[in-house]
Amino acid sequence: MSNPLHKRRDFIERSMLSALSFIKEATLSEEYANRKGFLQSLDPRFKTISFLAFLVTAVSLKSAALIGTLYGFCLILAFFSKIPIRKFFARTLLFIPLFSLCIVLPTLFGIVTPGEPVWSFHVSGINGIITRPGLDGAVLFVVRIATSVSLVVLLSLTTRHSELLKVLRLFGVPQIFVLTVSMCYRYLHLFATMVENIFTAVKSRVGVVSQQRHGQKIVAWNIATTWNRTTHMSEEVYMAMLSRGYTGEPRLLSEFNATPKDWLWLLCAIIICSGLFYKGYFL
Amino acid sequence: MSDIIFEVKDVHYSYLGKFPALCGVEMTIRSGEKIAVIGANGTGKSTLLQLLDGLIFPDHGHVTAFGERLLENSQNDEKSAHRFRRRVGLVFQNADIQLFCPSVKEDIAFGPLQFGVAEEEVNRRILEVAKALDIQHLLDRVPHQLSIGEKRRVAIASVLAIDPDVYLFDEPTAGLDPLTVRHIIDFIVTASQRGKTIITATHDLHIIGEIADTVYVFGRNKSIVRGGSSESVLNDRTLLESNNLIHIHRHHHGGREHVHQHLPLEPHD
Repeated sequence: MSNPLHKRRDFIERSMLSALSFIKEATLSEEYANRKGFLQSLDPRFKTISFLAFLVTAVSLKSAALIGTLYGFCLILAFFSKIPIRKFFARTLLFIPLFSLCIVLPTLFGIVTPGEPVWSFHVSGINGIITRPGLDGAVLFVVRIATSVSLVVLLSLTTRHSELLKVLRLFGVPQIFVLTVSMCYRYLHLFATMVENIFTAVKSRVGVVSQQRHGQKIVAWNIATTWNRTTHMSEEVYMAMLSRGYTGEPRLLSEFNATPKDWLWLLCAIIICSGLFYKGYFL
Repeated sequence: MSDIIFEVKDVHYSYLGKFPALCGVEMTIRSGEKIAVIGANGTGKSTLLQLLDGLIFPDHGHVTAFGERLLENSQNDEKSAHRFRRRVGLVFQNADIQLFCPSVKEDIAFGPLQFGVAEEEVNRRILEVAKALDIQHLLDRVPHQLSIGEKRRVAIASVLAIDPDVYLFDEPTAGLDPLTVRHIIDFIVTASQRGKTIITATHDLHIIGEIADTVYVFGRNKSIVRGGSSESVLNDRTLLESNNLIHIHRHHHGGREHVHQHLPLEPHD
């Protein structure tokens, strides 16, 4: 019979390592952003503005069919940006729309949204009616969530994180904030690796932890060590910045270069959004 | 004399006021010199470089750079700080500390941009230093994805882009493969030939013959136990052995076992 304490410890160990691996893979992998696809070739500023326009359109439209059209366009963009469609579906369609469906579930029923019945059922002596307005509202909500999430995921997959952060400056975010967030992002990988190494080092010396109290002590010790190292490193990084002329007001490279292709793309995005708005509100 | 760049006078420094790192260090460094600071771990080599770079300040004694005392107040003033930092560049031992930007290109550009160099000129310098250090293919990469050797070369490029008169290198070859070590030695030699002053902290005695004319040996007492020409210092077995810079070891080769000292300038039979 397996020891429940070991199981618990394994659970903590696995969770910790999985979390670190997720951080590294989800936030630091730029595999798709480095591919030579359509969206990757666009200036991040134009791309972000156009995707913001798509998002505003998706949340403003009241027709599931029109939002679905935008979703279809998003899939076409993903295809031409060399994003594997199955993986894209897995990232966007599996959990978030399912969760939104759970949220929206009560509004399907006549008791919450009265209207023309579409389907009625009888379970354990309770009569339930799904109404047309309830069903339409739920479909609209789920399609809107799925489209919005897909757009955001597509933007983040096809743009390097550092470039996305730099785009923030377009919206008046101070340079010091952009630099600080960029540095946090840059050191995330280093600290994740450091925590992994500390964990492996402890495991190699301590081996199997038989007492929960002992395990807690080790975790607390890890946290303290990581804290000490990060504090020390932040002081050294500050010195490295001073050494290269930093005096409190950072100046950063603005290396965006807009091409006619970017302007054309923005024009297309405006036409698509305007067309959808026109169809949704005036036709 | 006008060609004196650094004058270190009776400098004492301790961390947190209780862990001494330097005790009574005195040295004079002239323009165009190639200096190596050698010593075992924890003898204060890195601390000395940080003092020379105006990042920390002595508890006692003083450091003069380019004829002016290095004071905390003057380093807090943007103009004086920039005047000094344009002339002195430090390559840190841990490249992960030096490379704090999200991409290699931005790391190289960081220094010149802080000094107000125009962006067009910065871009020109990026390409120039990238070519000089053979890192053109790394420019758009994220620093954490690089190997140690690549990081070290990018760290050097980030200082080279400033084009300082004085280069301070902290353990530039530690943990690197032989080819990268060769690249770094070549870089140091070329910089020296261009008239730059080079100060290198290291305990890799094998590279000293090429990168230094003058060597200062730091001892366990956190001060200089000897200074002199690289040849005279490297041939002083007793000095090197008593300061943990060489060791006696036993090994096999040629089908026989033998014991000898590891000396950088002497081949063994």
